Amino acid sequence: MARARTWFALTAAVLAGSAVPAVADGAPPPPQVVTSAEATGSSVTIYRAPHGGDGEFDLNWLEGYALITETREVTIPAGRATIRFEGVAAGMLPESAIVTGLPAGVSEKNLDADLLSPRNLYARSFGRPVILRRTHAKTGAVREERAVIRSAPDGSVILQTAAGFEAANCGPLNEELVYPGVPDGLSARPTLSVATESPAPARVRLTLSYLAWGFDWRTSYVLRMRPDGRHADVTAWVTLASSDTTSFPGTMAAVVGGKPNFDEARDGNDREPGDLEFHCFVRPVAPPVELGMAAPPPAVMMEAADIVITAMRREDKASAAPITVQGEDLGDLKLYRMPIPTTVAARAQKQVALFDRKVVTVTPIYSAWIGGGADTDAALMLRTRNRPQDGLGIALPAGRTQVFEPHRGEFVLVGGGTVADKAVGEIVEFGVGRSPQVHVTNEDVADGEAWSDHQVTVTNANPRPIRFEGKAAIKDGARISRLSHPLGRKDGQWLWAVTVPANGRAVLTYRVREPE
Amino acid sequence: MRALMIVVAGAGLIPFGVARAETPAGASDLSVTIYNNNLALVQDIRQIDLGAGRMRQEFPGVSAQIRPETVTLATPGAGIVEQNFDYDLLTPARLLDKAVGQTVELVRTNPATGAETRESAQILANNGGTLVKIGNRIEVLNGYGARIVFASLPPGLRPSPTLSVTLDSTRAGTRPVTLSYLSHGFGWKADYVALFDEKVGKMDVQGWITLTNSSGTTFDNARVLLVAGQVGGDQNQDQNYRNYGPRPVSGNRPGTETSSREALGDFYVYPIAGRTTLANAQQKQVSFLDVKAAPATKGYFFRNDWLNSNDAAQSFDTVLRFSSSRSGGLGDALPAGTVRVYMRDVRGQPQFIGENTIGHTPMGSALALKTGEAFDVKVQPTVASRDRITSDEWIRDEVYRVTVDGGKPRIVEVDRKATYWRTTMTYKITNAKAVAVTAEVVQSGLDRGWWAGDPRVPFESVKGEQRSADERAWQVPVPAGGETTLTVKFDTVY
Repeated sequence: MARARTWFALTAAVLAGSAVPAVADGAPPPPQVVTSAEATGSSVTIYRAPHGGDGEFDLNWLEGYALITETREVTIPAGRATIRFEGVAAGMLPESAIVTGLPAGVSEKNLDADLLSPRNLYARSFGRPVILRRTHAKTGAVREERAVIRSAPDGSVILQTAAGFEAANCGPLNEELVYPGVPDGLSARPTLSVATESPAPARVRLTLSYLAWGFDWRTSYVLRMRPDGRHADVTAWVTLASSDTTSFPGTMAAVVGGKPNFDEARDGNDREPGDLEFHCFVRPVAPPVELGMAAPPPAVMMEAADIVITAMRREDKASAAPITVQGEDLGDLKLYRMPIPTTVAARAQKQVALFDRKVVTVTPIYSAWIGGGADTDAALMLRTRNRPQDGLGIALPAGRTQVFEPHRGEFVLVGGGTVADKAVGEIVEFGVGRSPQVHVTNEDVADGEAWSDHQVTVTNANPRPIRFEGKAAIKDGARISRLSHPLGRKDGQWLWAVTVPANGRAVLTYRVREPE
Repeated sequence: MRALMIVVAGAGLIPFGVARAETPAGASDLSVTIYNNNLALVQDIRQIDLGAGRMRQEFPGVSAQIRPETVTLATPGAGIVEQNFDYDLLTPARLLDKAVGQTVELVRTNPATGAETRESAQILANNGGTLVKIGNRIEVLNGYGARIVFASLPPGLRPSPTLSVTLDSTRAGTRPVTLSYLSHGFGWKADYVALFDEKVGKMDVQGWITLTNSSGTTFDNARVLLVAGQVGGDQNQDQNYRNYGPRPVSGNRPGTETSSREALGDFYVYPIAGRTTLANAQQKQVSFLDVKAAPATKGYFFRNDWLNSNDAAQSFDTVLRFSSSRSGGLGDALPAGTVRVYMRDVRGQPQFIGENTIGHTPMGSALALKTGEAFDVKVQPTVASRDRITSDEWIRDEVYRVTVDGGKPRIVEVDRKATYWRTTMTYKITNAKAVAVTAEVVQSGLDRGWWAGDPRVPFESVKGEQRSADERAWQVPVPAGGETTLTVKFDTVY
């Protein structure tokens, strides 16, 4: 022990001799640090995953993003100051940060990602004294010794003790490191700071806005068919989700429809590993031991399945419509805004009604490709036009559809599909699925040199007439003749549009002459 | 325990490199020049008291991603004998390797009682297992039932990569030693914030330089210079790479003006005022451009591939057009980076509407950036018909030969028997917006090489412009809440 004391005295002397390096040309006084702990108000605008799927959310892996705008109040001193922003979204893209409202503007923005982790704590403690706590596995006896870190984390962990140099945790004892404190410059989370220089002290209201990963939103359309089969009540829901660890309470939330260009292939998301591995002389000891220092508190985690419904669901048909979001144009995109402040909670999702329209005119259409290929069941869709006289007339963001039919006083799911972004005035086709009742049979009935005769039969097992549309794929330059029914044209293809009687069939025959 | 903590606090600032045999280098005067391609030139001037004669000088604190072959060192009155860059990292395994032949202390712990016994042992070998000689016995250290305590650390092993130089000094005395080297782990790009006001056709642009240090080392109080360019890269590879990118929207034209910025050869340089600290794992942003109310317009662009039909309408690209020229533009050369575009919503709050990247852009350039896809302006291209035509018709259509910029048509003599096609394309353009728009439709794929050029356009419902041998463009007006169908007939040999 006497030896160790001498050693500490020696290092103290060396320390006094080699003071902090002086800067060559008179360094200005260090800027004062002002910490902004939290936002006083915020708004969160969520954008979809640029090439996202339309399945269920994976709250651990949301690929959309959000524009977060926060107002913060800080008191800035006269002269140079650094303002640190705490409580920002963990998925922040620092290069997108904008700070406005400072009297003298922002001269510099920094994001420090040197995080407080076992590995960084070890690296920053190089050459500094720590306490080595040795625990005997059997007896549980604990002994503490002073030690100095002598290796970098890549070569961990070599310590100098009173006895000499040792590799930690390589002997018969369980050994842990206890640090006397946290070195400067390590933070629990990546922290954004800005440098400013104000002529006078001031209380200012800042706006901080930035893009952040880990958000997404979806639309789902629920169609409840009316008994006549020609009309449906359409309810659209917006579901928004956050996988971030920061909650935004009382925020003005909005979602953006359409496709803004966004670069997914950005780097900087992969950070250094934070753990510190203890290696021994020949083989590494696994698993890495727990360090004596208290770890940062775990992220607030809510039930992954927690769904918050903001809008009131109707209890009966007579009650008020749900609170719906308000749509507006944002350049060539669509912004849908929550009408009231809400909470975008950490690791949670939330639903709010987009609209609720009664009696939308829909036409059931069965369709298939005809003239070649395999026999198939026809696909059923509900076609409407996105305009007020048909009951819609709203910019429809892409999403999933679910179609329900009344059955004994209840609505039962009968199918669903997807719908792309549909502007006002466009034809909208809500997919339902393939129908086992409507079957398409393709037959080649005769052929000769450079010609062939085809027959298409559509059978309908429903007790009602149906509307069928078959698109024929014909080669460039080929000619169709000997048609049993006239064909129309749609999207550059021949189209056979026909009504098939209840429990009946329709037959089309034609000849295709190959190009010479 | 309390007494211990006080000692700890007092000794908490032991500098790097203490207790080394060699002289540690003194305070640094640092300059860092950062290029775009993960590269920086570091110049490190230290005042060092050198003795006379041959000596070894260590430089700890150099970048951990140093390229050692690029190190040069200059100091008056001294020559370099050799320079070494030591990667021999201090790890337990290397420590034991280096201790072969030496005597260490073994501390054994009784598994039941915890009582410790100490004995001296000589390390014989460390090949797959550790052989030690204790007295007259040879043992294999198995499972580490004992702790090994080393008396010292071997001199060659270092906690971090360290540069050491052997110098031959002709005189003693303090003098500047200039160390310069290239290092990976640095990079920078520009980030632009553009707030676009569509109604008045203006945008405010702020430019930020974003620089990153992932070199593993913090550089304090450095002078920082940024060079807008990639140096030392493989030029040919770069050119090939470019061909694979998506075809840009029309309206990009490189400029011919020279910015008043500092230049280095063909590159613009951006010095950062004052000295700044480049902390490890830090991303730093410094403002370099602030332009108010530069003219900008929005347009719609769609390019159709040859013979492409779509079952459903698809969105036009929304394109933001502006200039970097002195008059009517941003008035500066623009280093490569990302442009993020914002617009104010109904309540006046800026909202993000899309981003795109630009390359290094000279002053005077015209830029057209796709910011996203238009929700309300769509197009459905359709091959309405495709039929063979006779050679007589083909010859009759010679008057409809297309030319680029009124130049001569490229007449193709076809020796073999050709098949002539007439393709009718329709492009149904819908506009659900409350204002009329003009949308640009481009049909590509007209140039099929030497055997199949010379296309003719006998009919088009809107007068087109032949942009190149391959592409023809139409500016199609579409009324508010309405639709326009552009119909074009092409006669081709493919």
